[in-house]
Amino acid sequence: MSRGKPVGRSAPLAAGLLLAAAAVALLGLPAEAQEAAREPAYRAFPWIGSRLAVWAVAQLHLNFAAFILGVPIFAVIIEIIGWRTRDARYDWLAHEFVKLTFAAFSTTALLGALLLFLFVGYYPKFWTYMTSIFFPTYWIYALLFFAETFTVYLWYYGWDWLQGSRKWIHVGLGVLSNLFGTAILFVANSWVTFMISPAGIDESGALKGGVWAAITNFTWMPINIHRLIANIVFGGTIAGAYAAFRFLAAKTDEERARYDWMGYVGNFVALSAFIVLPFAGYWLGREIYAFNQTMGITMMGGFMSWLWIIQAILIGILFLGSNYYLWLGMERIPGAERYRKYVPPMLIILTIGFMVWATPRSMVITLDEARAMGGTHHPLLGFLGVMSAKNTVVNLMILTTFLSYILYRRANRVSTRPWVRTGMAVQWAAFGAAAVIVVFYGVYGYFVESIVRIGFSVYQVLAVLAAIVVVMAIDVPLFKGARSTGEIRWGTIAPRSQYVLILLAVTFTWLMGLMGFARSGIRQHWHVYGVLRDTSPEAVTPALGYAANVITVVTLVFFALVMFIFWLGGLGEKGKEAGAHGHAAPVLAGGSDQDA
Amino acid sequence: MRVPVGVKVGVFSVAVMASYSWFANSIPQIESRPPQELSLEGGNVTPAQLIKAGEEIYRTKGTCEICHQIGQKGTRAPDLAGVGARAAKAKPGMSAKAYLLESLIQPSAHVVEGFPPIMPAVDKPPIALNRSEVWALTAFLQSLGGTVDVALNDIPASVGATAGATGAPAEVRLPGDPKAGKTVYMTKGGCLACHKAGDIPGTPVGPDLSQLARIQTPDYIMKKILDPKGAGTVAGFPPGVMPPTFGQTLTAREFTDLVAFLLTLK
Repeated sequence: MSRGKPVGRSAPLAAGLLLAAAAVALLGLPAEAQEAAREPAYRAFPWIGSRLAVWAVAQLHLNFAAFILGVPIFAVIIEIIGWRTRDARYDWLAHEFVKLTFAAFSTTALLGALLLFLFVGYYPKFWTYMTSIFFPTYWIYALLFFAETFTVYLWYYGWDWLQGSRKWIHVGLGVLSNLFGTAILFVANSWVTFMISPAGIDESGALKGGVWAAITNFTWMPINIHRLIANIVFGGTIAGAYAAFRFLAAKTDEERARYDWMGYVGNFVALSAFIVLPFAGYWLGREIYAFNQTMGITMMGGFMSWLWIIQAILIGILFLGSNYYLWLGMERIPGAERYRKYVPPMLIILTIGFMVWATPRSMVITLDEARAMGGTHHPLLGFLGVMSAKNTVVNLMILTTFLSYILYRRANRVSTRPWVRTGMAVQWAAFGAAAVIVVFYGVYGYFVESIVRIGFSVYQVLAVLAAIVVVMAIDVPLFKGARSTGEIRWGTIAPRSQYVLILLAVTFTWLMGLMGFARSGIRQHWHVYGVLRDTSPEAVTPALGYAANVITVVTLVFFALVMFIFWLGGLGEKGKEAGAHGHAAPVLAGGSDQDA
Repeated sequence: MRVPVGVKVGVFSVAVMASYSWFANSIPQIESRPPQELSLEGGNVTPAQLIKAGEEIYRTKGTCEICHQIGQKGTRAPDLAGVGARAAKAKPGMSAKAYLLESLIQPSAHVVEGFPPIMPAVDKPPIALNRSEVWALTAFLQSLGGTVDVALNDIPASVGATAGATGAPAEVRLPGDPKAGKTVYMTKGGCLACHKAGDIPGTPVGPDLSQLARIQTPDYIMKKILDPKGAGTVAGFPPGVMPPTFGQTLTAREFTDLVAFLLTLK
């Protein structure tokens, strides 16, 4: 199979060189530290102010970085599946995903360099301080970026060259590029998390011992894990949205089937990672409390408390959207009619869960209304606005979503195992037991102190995870070699399902912006919490409305850039027959009885 | 006419994001502003003023209300109703004001039974109350059922020593007169010979000072006037041009007036 001229050959190289130049500039900073200390503490960015400039560029950079770090993780997994099963479809799909990443690679580096210049230029005192702590990590970051760049180059350009008996080398390159990418993420996270929960420094803010103590601060590992998982979700949703766009614009059934399948895989990846994301979020929250109770309480109960209501709404939309997409997808699977009866109860659970999760603890009411009600907490709804209720419903929503996936997975299969009844009974028992444990600890949480109640969330999470493991451990052998009730009719899914995929991508991107605001906002008027105070005129942490407007504008810019980059990436294919450029595009319409 | 897919997807995406923005704008809008510094050192203040200042700190900069309530039992921290009276009996041999002070600056020394040891020292970052603020807050707590007898001298001089950490407080009030400082700037100081400052024109030998207070700290400005070489030269301007003699030629009053004027340049 031949491959034409790859897309964006020179742009990543230029970006790499730019980053190298930035790294060299960074490495020279300590020598200039004394001079830099005499520089102004702040400079004013024209028109929009320094804070907004940094905010916008940082969010854009993070969006792109999340995409290029998240997609390769599941791209290499898909490639491995294709390699082991000898199914060319997966190899094509993995290559498609990496192609998207590759096109966005240079933009990520350029935005990173721009962010660095903004910090050096407009927040010199802050940057000098960060350099005094993290200078050794700059070297590591630069070296890792080189390693990542060249490994991804080899991975992408060597796709044809490293086929056949050399495929294991190619897969190894994919794994290696992911390891480098993850290491880059961890290094950058050490800077961000130090700003939230500084460690390894004395009262004056100077490093006490080695930089390792500053790196391994309270929130470093939780954010590493949270971002790693979130990047996979994000990558999955963006890839799904790309596929949805191509589906809607497709001119042939074959093309429609191909992108239907790609969208399904993107959503599957996103959903699989999304289910465990709240658990990582709990851990992060717990570590913030462990670092500083005041910060934790300010985050959850202070001026930011309403932010979590918006977050709940967004996550509720993601849950409902993902499930709705699966249910629509079942309509193109012969035999799935058996499971339609489960949809209404699942919808009810998800809707009630959504409503409870989005219930605020304190109501926005007038003084007269508060007097009439006896306080700002509604006598009935107030009980639903607390963590006991919210933890309970989110775990039930996760269980329900997992059930949706299980039903989709077996939609066109009938198990031929003799132990099918027993297996399914154990599966339902696992679901039931998890639900009972979740509800039990949710109710019990109302009768114990908060410190005990926080510990209950761990039991609830463990119950759900255990159910997922048990059900899957049974499901895989149960449906191995199962009888098919018909082939999946790829490409025949309702077009509105593609708008659901786009909704998921837009919502998750917006949610990332909101969480970025939360992570940064909990520091309030500190660059580095409790250590380096923000004395600029822009030290005010803005209200949610302003933040939402910024997030919306930046997200719009992000999607505009993504569309432009993908369009650029597709220019190389213009005028060529589909499939001639790289691996043959798979023919899928009605041609598969597998679900992924 | 057939609407292109790109347009449909674009409109749909904008509508989704606009709805999120709309909702976020429809709920309570609360900003978090940096706290102001309160200084009562050497000043005359009545007990009533002191208690009022303390109550303000209790509700804002002190962030006490996050955990404590007055007249309502919480799960994180004790109810402070009547704490002024209770404090006298909390620890044998310890006066009410001494106990309250200890609770504020060494909260782990005595934790009320049934509550977790989560209170931070209020004179340390991130709360970082200064000595005057700890004084006022102690007075307010004493006023809750007790007699206010705490004096500034009761607050150890070390309290709030690290309050600003490595960052200067957001605002420093200098005794200088900005109006007189403007005259110094234009006449005896001769600053306009090299600097532009807002509506005062100047030759661009040195940096434009029109937004000086937005981007510089007061201590840097003072140091730069007295020791221009030691404070360094702003990148892009020739070093050694600014006269190093202002410390000798300006009187103390003129110096503070000049700094006060420069701090108005935002």
